[in-house]
Amino acid sequence: MSMTSTLAWRLFRHEAKRGELTIILLAIVLSVGAVLSLSLFSERLQGALKERSAAFIAADAQLRSDTPIDEIWLQQARDEGLNTAKQVTTRSMVFHRDEMSLVDLRAVNENYPLKGTVNITDVPFGQKEAATDLPMPGEVWLQSLLFQTLKLSLGDSIEIGDAEFIVTKVLVDIPDAGFSVFNTDPIALIRLSDLDATAITGPGSRARYVGYFEGESSAISNFYDWLSPNLQDDLHNWRTVEDDESAIGRSVASAERYFLLASLLAIVLAAVSIAVAAQRYSQRHFDPVAIMKTLGATKQVIRRIYLLQILFITGLGIIIGLIMGFIGQQVVVWLVAEQVDVALSIWHWRPVLIAVFTGATCSLLFSLYPLMQLFSIPPLRVLRRDLSTNLRSRTIQYVASGGAIFLLMWIYSQDLMISLILFGSGVVLVAGLLGATFLLIAAGRKFGSGKMGPWQLAWARIKRRSMENSVQLISFSVTIMLLLVVLVMRNDMVSQWRSQLPEGTPNYFLINITGDQKTELDTHFKSNGITIEEFYPVIRGRFVAVNDDSVNTEVSKEDDSNIEGRQGLGREANLTWSNSLQKENEITSGIWHGDNTDTLEQGVFAVSVETDVGERLGIELGDMLTFNVGSEIVKTKVTSFRNVNWQTMQPNFFFVIQPEAMAAFNPTYITSFYLPEVQKSELTTLLKPFASITMFDVDARINQLRDIVNQVSVAIEFILVLVLVAGSLVLIAQVQASMDERRQELAILRTLGAKGSLIRKSVVFEFLIIGVVAGFMAALANELSLYMLQTKVFQMTASLHFEYWLIAPIVGAIVVGALGAVGCWRLLTLNTSALLRKMV
Amino acid sequence: MIKTSKVTKSVNTSEGKLEILHPISFEVKSGESVAIIGASGSGKSTLLGLLAGLDEVSEGEIYLDGEPLHTMDEEARAVLRGQKVGFIFQSFMLVQSLTAIENVMLPAEIAGLDNPKQMASKILEQVGIGHRASHYPNQLSGGEQQRVAIARAFITSPKILFADEPTGNLDATNSHKVEDLLFALNREKGTTLVLVTHDNELADKCDRQLTMQAGVLTESTPVSPLQRSEAV
Repeated sequence: MSMTSTLAWRLFRHEAKRGELTIILLAIVLSVGAVLSLSLFSERLQGALKERSAAFIAADAQLRSDTPIDEIWLQQARDEGLNTAKQVTTRSMVFHRDEMSLVDLRAVNENYPLKGTVNITDVPFGQKEAATDLPMPGEVWLQSLLFQTLKLSLGDSIEIGDAEFIVTKVLVDIPDAGFSVFNTDPIALIRLSDLDATAITGPGSRARYVGYFEGESSAISNFYDWLSPNLQDDLHNWRTVEDDESAIGRSVASAERYFLLASLLAIVLAAVSIAVAAQRYSQRHFDPVAIMKTLGATKQVIRRIYLLQILFITGLGIIIGLIMGFIGQQVVVWLVAEQVDVALSIWHWRPVLIAVFTGATCSLLFSLYPLMQLFSIPPLRVLRRDLSTNLRSRTIQYVASGGAIFLLMWIYSQDLMISLILFGSGVVLVAGLLGATFLLIAAGRKFGSGKMGPWQLAWARIKRRSMENSVQLISFSVTIMLLLVVLVMRNDMVSQWRSQLPEGTPNYFLINITGDQKTELDTHFKSNGITIEEFYPVIRGRFVAVNDDSVNTEVSKEDDSNIEGRQGLGREANLTWSNSLQKENEITSGIWHGDNTDTLEQGVFAVSVETDVGERLGIELGDMLTFNVGSEIVKTKVTSFRNVNWQTMQPNFFFVIQPEAMAAFNPTYITSFYLPEVQKSELTTLLKPFASITMFDVDARINQLRDIVNQVSVAIEFILVLVLVAGSLVLIAQVQASMDERRQELAILRTLGAKGSLIRKSVVFEFLIIGVVAGFMAALANELSLYMLQTKVFQMTASLHFEYWLIAPIVGAIVVGALGAVGCWRLLTLNTSALLRKMV
Repeated sequence: MIKTSKVTKSVNTSEGKLEILHPISFEVKSGESVAIIGASGSGKSTLLGLLAGLDEVSEGEIYLDGEPLHTMDEEARAVLRGQKVGFIFQSFMLVQSLTAIENVMLPAEIAGLDNPKQMASKILEQVGIGHRASHYPNQLSGGEQQRVAIARAFITSPKILFADEPTGNLDATNSHKVEDLLFALNREKGTTLVLVTHDNELADKCDRQLTMQAGVLTESTPVSPLQRSEAV
């Protein structure tokens, strides 16, 4: 070993043994541990959530096509190492004796489903259980409703097209049944090999072909890269778990963003703690460097010794951090195992690489300036102790630290927006804090004079240590702000999720209700203690033209029964009419026709169009839309666009027309109701008098959604705790580092006979003042960050959180003051001579 | 061994240029011991810093063992210090995180000498604290720490030893022990000694005394202890 590495190793060994490296080591361990545990946990959780999402499309990716899927494509997927399955879906009539019903026929091959389960039962509306197999050839599984409408029982046979099938099971659901209130024909499940015998998928049939793919994400994307040139927009639709637009998909996506945010904040926290620790480390080495330089060590030697030391510390910190992080997240997983599904695979390379990269980058880049200070210590310091670094410009420090944080955020999030928002808020905060420090120092000048009480002493110290205090204030504020962001964001997000599905959310929909049945149904349900929600009139109409352009092709593209909430715009659109705006609908442009007094030309009626569908079809305000209802033509004019909250469990409509337009038609009605779990068994009796009404059960779906929201909420809670722990450790490191700087002053005050209580009080007061200011500044910066994050990243409604303007300063004062008191208490337990010796 | 010619040191302050040392010229011969005495703030330590190559002159020339210090940059001066200079300080200046023996080894290691550990061990025995070799500075008394510093100063057998108030932090008993050790080693190794002190008794043990007063250096005749006691 060379002299420099021997020296570096020796210094490292001794310092580690004597506990001198604890803080910097702890900071690195913390950064690596926090990032690893957070990202490992979130990766595992995401894995589990993705599994769940995958179950909703029965695979990791789906290809839906209007034409049969080429066998070569499936072969290519298998060559890529993917599992494949097939389904053909079409609407068809089924017959049983004199009864008939329209069904959503699903013909699947033996591999279906690749993800999720087919659930069955032995009695209609019975308890579901997962099927271990599929219907055998010649068999069919039917949903409960069909047993009512076709008046059949298990073992009966039904006809589908030219073929006859034996009904062997009651089908509860299939993974990709889709979720829609309209066009909900009950499902009939058969083997794909039986489909030909039915002869219902000949030319002109509206069969839809689905290919399912399951495997590694990389294999899926490789396959998609190969496949995409062959796909045609008007025939094919490729969908993966990632682009799940459903409510679940959105919740999962925002949870993922939250994890990302929490991890980013953990990185920043870690960076702050490393910066604090590195500064302290550097200051403690001013003397050894001056001594070594005096004894003949050149700058190069010093540079090597200290860079090697930092490498040793970083290496050790990373190793311990990885171990701690891994154990930490295992403990969390173990703690939440009851409430949260986490993926079984416990090791992911990405979080490990990120954690190592974070630890290394933070410790090297944040040590850069302190190390440069160290390298520039003049040897003359051995004679003149007041000499410190020659380095005056802090530009390099700002560039290195700022650059490091931004770089890490960007690399980690791969999201420029979220990185810019956090970084920008940070910069604004720092600028604000510099101003605040300035004011504080000015205040210190005013309050710090007069008789030496603890308050005066505290203010005087704030004034004198203005530079150190501003650094400290900034780091306290950043830490508190980050904790606030994580905390408030979590509260807002979870309450927003929960509010989407409050208790009593309708879990059953009734459709095909005739006008005559409305009152009877309402009374019947009321007498059974069940409240029916609003009745919405519905009439099917074909959307045929925008102005004079026929839109048949565009419309058929939209006929995607699996896009949750988007149902209703198909070859037949579900039209409703009303003069009052539905709940959770918001006019984005134009004037809602219920409020509009302008009269349109004769025979033209106002229509309000959902914003997204309007954009997709290129509809603009003032366009004339033509619908074909039965044999009649209804001409409408777009007078408003609406935003619709698709995440609510209520019927939503793309088109809402002025009531006068529909006066001549005979609509059916749709409504929903909430049935508690305990009354579920009464369902059949409840609906018995209304045989023509179709019921649609979304209870399972709601429970699934709620389940996921709860799981994600619990997971987020734990992430919050992790970040809080990380933040607290940073605060402790900061207080401890500043205690070092205070040691000398305390020793002098003690020597001069100051009472322990005076010193303690003055230190606590000083920290209280810093804590209050830091808390308040953090609350302000928190609002800014939250506003940006909620509006730009999480697509949530931003709100102000005035309560934190009070809570943050109080908590800041208490926590920082208490930490100060503890740190100070430790110093005061040393006797004066020990303190003085520590000064040397 | 040391030759200075019209050496000055000035610093810029908010009130203008401040002359700390007025032109100073003197020589120190090889093996000679010289004490620089003077009141606090007279510029003694500044001069020591310049002579040892720890600081740069404002004007003038300094030759250390024939090498022109005034033309060298910090790196070259560091190399020169490592090869030819030893130091002892009032506040000992030991590296707190290294043990006594490791502190002593430090200059030998920096200079790239062989067997630094054996050398350090030997010299620690010589200064009488071989049994404390593995202790850290804060586990040693002031006298012991200064002995470690002396051992560290002599381990590379430097040609010149600079001492800044070497007994300034010690009580009388320890001061005497350290002084005796310092001069004994100095004689044994034939080192040139330049020390800065307030302590007349210590200064008297040197061959020559230079007095610094407000940045001006004057040669003064050594006063024997006998003469001083008569004067009192």
